[in-house]
Amino acid sequence: MTATTQAVQAPAAPPGPARRGRARDFRATRWGWAYSAPAVLVFLAFVIVPTGYTFYVSLWKWNALNPALSKFKGLGNYSRLFDATQPTFLSSLGHSLYFTGAMVVGGTAISLALALLLQRGGMLLNGTRAAIFLPHATPVIATSMIWTWIFNYKFGLADWILHSLHLPTSQWLQSSSSAMPAVVIYSLWHEVGFTTVVFLGGLATLSNELSEAARVDGCSGWQEFWHVTWHQLKPVTVFVIAITAITSLQAFTQFYQLANGGPAYATTTLSYLVYQEAFVFSDTGYGAALAVVLFAVTVFFTLVRRRTAAGGESHALV
Amino acid sequence: MRKRITAAAGLAALALSATACAGGGTSTPKAASGSGSSAKNGGSGTELAVPTGPVTITFEEAMTIGTLKPAMEKLVSDFQAKYPNITVKLQGDPDYGTMYTKEKAEVQAGNAPTLGQAYESWASYFQSAGKLVPIGDLAGTDTPAEMSTFYKGIQTDMKLPDGKTWMWPFNKSVLVLFENSDMLAKDGQTDPKTWDDYATVMKAVSKDGVTGSTVDPGSATGAAYGTQWFEILAEANGAKLYDADGTPHLSDPGAVKALQYMQDLKNANALATGKNYPGETALGAQKGAFDISSAAGYGFENKTVGGKFKLGITALPSGPAGAVNELTGTNIVMFTGATADQKAAAWAFLKFIDSPAEQAGWSATSGYLPVTSQALSDPVMQAFVAKNPYVTAAVSELDTAFTLPGYSWIFKCQGYEATAIQEVLENGKQPSDALNTAQSACTAAKAQG
Repeated sequence: MTATTQAVQAPAAPPGPARRGRARDFRATRWGWAYSAPAVLVFLAFVIVPTGYTFYVSLWKWNALNPALSKFKGLGNYSRLFDATQPTFLSSLGHSLYFTGAMVVGGTAISLALALLLQRGGMLLNGTRAAIFLPHATPVIATSMIWTWIFNYKFGLADWILHSLHLPTSQWLQSSSSAMPAVVIYSLWHEVGFTTVVFLGGLATLSNELSEAARVDGCSGWQEFWHVTWHQLKPVTVFVIAITAITSLQAFTQFYQLANGGPAYATTTLSYLVYQEAFVFSDTGYGAALAVVLFAVTVFFTLVRRRTAAGGESHALV
Repeated sequence: MRKRITAAAGLAALALSATACAGGGTSTPKAASGSGSSAKNGGSGTELAVPTGPVTITFEEAMTIGTLKPAMEKLVSDFQAKYPNITVKLQGDPDYGTMYTKEKAEVQAGNAPTLGQAYESWASYFQSAGKLVPIGDLAGTDTPAEMSTFYKGIQTDMKLPDGKTWMWPFNKSVLVLFENSDMLAKDGQTDPKTWDDYATVMKAVSKDGVTGSTVDPGSATGAAYGTQWFEILAEANGAKLYDADGTPHLSDPGAVKALQYMQDLKNANALATGKNYPGETALGAQKGAFDISSAAGYGFENKTVGGKFKLGITALPSGPAGAVNELTGTNIVMFTGATADQKAAAWAFLKFIDSPAEQAGWSATSGYLPVTSQALSDPVMQAFVAKNPYVTAAVSELDTAFTLPGYSWIFKCQGYEATAIQEVLENGKQPSDALNTAQSACTAAKAQG
């Protein structure tokens, strides 16, 4: 707005430079629109239109096999959100937030710690970097199947290790209390490789002078990390938190494969509930209403992140 | 997935031969061979004749693993040998869940297969959207002659609550009890005849790292053998879980008693829960003494045991209400959109695979039970029964085995049952509380339709 006002108030510029100025803003020209059109059309076709259509479907008792038989319900599907008992909407939302919180806190802390350990380089550490990143490159569905067996409480590796160390074993995916932690453990294993690489990239750009100055001034290692290193990594941390929060809210595959949303809905998150209602029970209208709410929750967190990052250096990254 | 198939119709083979000879062109209607063909019975009065020109039909199926795959392929090759002008294209899926998702997507896209496997609740969903062809449109009557040769439980299972025949039987089975006979003998135990006996034996053998049995209670998105075991226990206690119109009675005293029974076993460390056929895995690893599973699972159980011990197979124990079993497995439905020739060819295929000779071969290879008793006199089946005496007891239950009413939302209710089992066995909830919750949720699901 300010820029526009200034442009209006600015004295008339000579014809030559003005033409150059317009030419520089290539996006506003017809050619700019033409070049953008393919991407815009793809975005419209596969994101904007389906999002709008989902909202439309959420207003109906939708017959997916024969839409002509659908019945208009208005906001009826949304009111069902609060009537449902198996599971309740709030419990599913709670599971989503639990998972997201665990992934944001745990994932950020672990990946930052790993990045600090691995930043020095060398053959061994480079190999370790690759090993840590490798899980992220594997398909979630395939590795989830393997982890189903790792978490098997009768024959699995996880309990075998605990038993070997004389530690108490767990029912893992078979118990309502340990199922979500088990999914979090798997998800951290799969995801920290990516966020560790992001932190390593951030660490590589930091200035050594500040750290050296801090050490000369007598800072301890912890003080140096807290006040100098991590402070400089703030934009990277904000990016990691944002991307982890969004992907965690939308996570589905591991919940599907590891626990089927159970036992007793203990791992039924909003995204899993959308799948369950829309694609298993074919309750498409209700599933669409849940998807709209999940969309709203994700937008809310994105806006919160943008507000908390406003004015920060993170704009370049996020 | 391991539920099973079969069925037969001696008249079907004869009818096929007759129609093949009579067909002078493409799928011309002929007089119904069934009894009482009439429009008022839901049919047109004329049965579709086998087409004589080249026709291709598609079949969405999940018989793709273990012995099921060769058994399925043999049915098709036998059919194509008899009707070389008809090509049956199998669209195999790895499991039932994937198959159902694909079927729904194909129907939505207007590209449905000619035939597809379907549970009763799935068939109800497709039928409510007007996407199924009733059997009466193919056979000319709602009660084709072949139907009368099927076991009574199978006949009932072919209809939806509107009373019309919408499905044709395929891979049908009942649950049986697989056991480690050596372990039982070593412990001085014998085959349990009642559910009380079963509890006693389960507790007796649960020691030294052995848990009597491990079951999959199912999940909110699908029943498993543990869910069906609960349903059988409840009905064996005299409960009627669902009325014919689908009204649920999940918190009936018989159902509560069934869940209490399971909880008592769990509390005595005689019952454990797991996923992905955990009973079979535990039995094979000699960490379990029993596994309640489909009779069609015999091949899988045998392979898992691998000759480490004698694998015993017996009929399920009985309860106060007598011997109760539940029909498992799917039927076949025909989707709208097929051409007249495809419908005629598909009808010929349906009758062919349920003929006695084909049912005998299918059962002996796949482990599913034959849907017609006429298959039992086939030499192939007789040889199979001689090696596997449990088949006789299992087949005898096909007349009385119950099925849940064919409403689409029953699928949800089974999920509520499974959740109640999980709440009780894994979270220690009181059976009556868990089942009251399931009852409320199921009632709401019924109201929503």
